[in-house]
Order: sequence, then structure tokens, then C-alpha cells
Amino acid sequence: MTRLLGWLAALALAAGTVMGFGVAPREATQGNVQRIMYLHVPTAWVAYLAFGVVLAASIAYLARRRPGADRVAHASAEVGVVFTGITIAAGSIWGKPTWGTWWTWDARLTSVAILFVMYLGYLLLRGMIDDAERAARYCAVLGIVAALNVPLVHFSVYWWRTLHQPPSVLKPGAATMPTAILATLLVNVAAFTLLYVYFVAKRVRLLRAESEVLA
Amino acid sequence: MAWKDLLVERRSKETLNAVLFFALALLFVFQFALDADRERLAAVLPGLLWLAFILSGMLGLGRVFLVERENDCWEGLLLAPGDKSAIYLGKLAGSLALIFTVEAIVLALFALFFNLDLAPVLPQLALVIALGTVGFAAVGTLFAAMTAQARARELLFPVLLLPVLVPVLLGTVKVTGALLLREPLADVAHWLKLLVAADVIYLVTGLLTFDFILEG
Amino acid sequence: MADHWNFVAAAYGLAILVLGGYWRRLVRKERELMTAGVQRSRHPSLSGHPRSEPASRHPLP
Repeated sequence: MTRLLGWLAALALAAGTVMGFGVAPREATQGNVQRIMYLHVPTAWVAYLAFGVVLAASIAYLARRRPGADRVAHASAEVGVVFTGITIAAGSIWGKPTWGTWWTWDARLTSVAILFVMYLGYLLLRGMIDDAERAARYCAVLGIVAALNVPLVHFSVYWWRTLHQPPSVLKPGAATMPTAILATLLVNVAAFTLLYVYFVAKRVRLLRAESEVLA
Repeated sequence: MAWKDLLVERRSKETLNAVLFFALALLFVFQFALDADRERLAAVLPGLLWLAFILSGMLGLGRVFLVERENDCWEGLLLAPGDKSAIYLGKLAGSLALIFTVEAIVLALFALFFNLDLAPVLPQLALVIALGTVGFAAVGTLFAAMTAQARARELLFPVLLLPVLVPVLLGTVKVTGALLLREPLADVAHWLKLLVAADVIYLVTGLLTFDFILEG
Repeated sequence: MADHWNFVAAAYGLAILVLGGYWRRLVRKERELMTAGVQRSRHPSLSGHPRSEPASRHPLP
């Protein structure tokens, strides 16, 4: 089953990449460097998905204490951190030619950076607690706190970056995208999501095997 | 629980002294670093103030469960009868008492050294400091319990706490800045609402999840 | 604006390296655990302490 997932993901990624370079048009203002978006946006989406799963799994674990839930939380956090790292790196690389700088404290980058550190902390906490059951419990609590913090971070950082007046809407409306760009984006989002599911499935299996070996 | 902690503190006074001296050191460093540039100083003052609060506060919070840890009383906490959230509130109250004391002194010294006239905005300032500190301490107490039994807790505790603190920090600095510049509070009302929301979220989460931390 | 293909390559290249590296790590660990599992089933004397299923451990009564 996992192997099928892996092949599907690979296929989808191939399709997405082909579209990213073949189908999607050269962007008017930025030129071809804008194609990084087909990498950056999907990985960002996956990162948020991953941490949403961490929240759900953490709550599930505290409610029922099924070790499977803990394994899903752990795996999803780990994969999420990987994807978040890529999001930041790709965003930074995209920013250098377009904004002229590797890093800027704009709302989105700052939010993602904070996200990264929070879930890195989650993994650190796991590593630093020796007792497996306690680690599962504590990390579940941290997973919940971190997830609850995400909207707070979003609002505060967004307001911080919007000068003076508070925004009257949640965030600026997305401009309508031409079909080719939208389609390419969606295919890539689906592809990276499949990759995420594949990675998490593999990691969970690994965690189960590890716990059996140690037992 | 809070009373017991306060009593222990009054006798030893270790934590209060350590935190106070740390805050003072920070003050001196800020003064030396920014002495000549009065204008830049005015701009960064809210940030510096909260930096002093947060760093000193973290020093204090890191030691919240020190007594239990050093004297091997952790099991005592686990076996305590009744609602574990009471322990959380007790520890929280103790931390708040400590941090509020430090903040009051640091604020007074700030006003002194940097020649600030705080009288007209003092009640509002007290409110925003209280809001920020409650949120800070609510999460801090929870995380202090979580890291009490972990390895490398001195490193882990700030790493876990600081990113979670960003919204509270942003909010308090913005409102404090507005107050110091005598801007109308209506301009920063959305920050105040964020602070209140954050406080509620952190407190409720702390109360609900503390039981899970003290299970074992 | 110029095309900056080298930046595009850098971004995608980094992603491939990281994702590929992570995948390789997962595969390698899986292989290790498989062989460890096979060894243990062939030599039962190698298995260590008795099973301790974390989920069955109850919190303090």
C-alpha cells in the first residue's frame, strides 16, 4: 500500500514539475524565477497540513492513549519540519532576485519561521525526554499549544507588518489567477500532499517497528 | 500552593534577587549601548522594556519547579490529591507575584534612567503589562513543568517558550509604544483584543492540559 | 526582469536534495530494522528485556 502511494506521489511530482516548467507561462513582471512558486506554495501548504494533523493526533492521543495516534503525531511533526524548512529556503531563494535580499521580516516569512522553530522544539522535546510514554504525553500537549498559537502568530505578525491602521478584513483578497498558473499550482499541491502522506506512512511504520525492536 | 511557594521564596529570596540583578544588568547595558542616541532610544524603548521583562521573567519561570526537582519532590506533586489544575494555578500565582514585583522595579528604574514621564499613562501601562505577563506566565508555567524532567532543560525551555510568546510580545510592545508616545489607545485596540484572546487561550489550555503533564 | 534560472535551479535542487535525503534515510532505517527483526526471529536469545507496551501502562491510580 505504501509502495503504491510512493509511486503515485512520484508520478504526481513528475507531472507537477513538467507543468511547472512546460505548461505554466513565463510571468510578466518577475520572469521565470516566479516558477519557484510551484515549489514554495505547495510545501507551505503541506507544512500547515502536517501541523494540523499533529494537532488532531495529539488530541486523539490524549483522549484515547492509542500509541498509533502518538506515532502519527510524531511522524507528521517530523515531515512537517522538513517541508517547512524547504518552504523557508525556497522562499528565501525566491526573494533574493525579486526583493534583493535573502531575508525580510515580512508577514508570511516571519510566520513560517516561527512555525519552524515551534515544531523543531516539538522534535527536540521528544528527543530530550527519555521515557517514551511521558514523551508522548508532553509532546501531545505541546502539539496542541503550538497549533493554537498558529492563528495568534498569523494575526499578530500580519498586523505588525501592515502599518498603522488595523486591517478591516482578515487578509487581502487573492487576485484571480490565470487558469494555467492555477492548474499548475493545484497539481503541485496535490503532488506534494501525496508525498507528505507517503512520508508519514513510512515514518509511522518505522516508528512502530522501532518500538517493537526496543520492547 | 501559591502561599507555600511564596513562603519558600520569602525565606530564600534566591530567585527574586537573581532576577532583579539580571534586570539591572540589562538596564545598564541598554544605557551604555544607546546612551548617545536619544532618538533611537525613544523608538526602541518599548522593545527594550519588554526584553528586560521577558528575559528576567524566563529566568524566574525556569526555576518554578526547581524546588521540586532538586529535592526529589516531583512524586509529591504527582500524588497530590485533588485537581491538578490547582497546582497549576498555584504555581502561576507564585510566578506572577515574582514577575510583577520585578517588572514594577524595572519599570521604575527605566523611568528614572531614561527620563520618562509615566504618570499620565500609568494605569493603562499597568493594564497592558498585566495582560502581557499573565499570558507569558500561563504558558511559561506549563512549559516549565514539561521541561522540568527533560534533559538540557535550560536550553529547551527558552526554545519552546519564545516562539509561542511572539504574539504576546508583539502586542505588548505595540501598546506600550503607543502609550509612551501618548497615542490614543483606540489605535491599538486590536492589539489589546489579541492580548486578551491570547491570555484566555493560554490560561484555558494550561488549566486543561496540566493534568496530563502531572500524570507521571 | 532577467530570468535568474540559477535561482530556480537552486530552489528546486535544494528541495530534491532534502526530500531525497529524507527518503533515503527512511529507506535505510527500514532496511536496518528489517534485518534486525529477521536476526531476532532466527536467534530468539538475542531479544532483550520483556515487552513493555507503553499504552498499557496506566497513570498513577
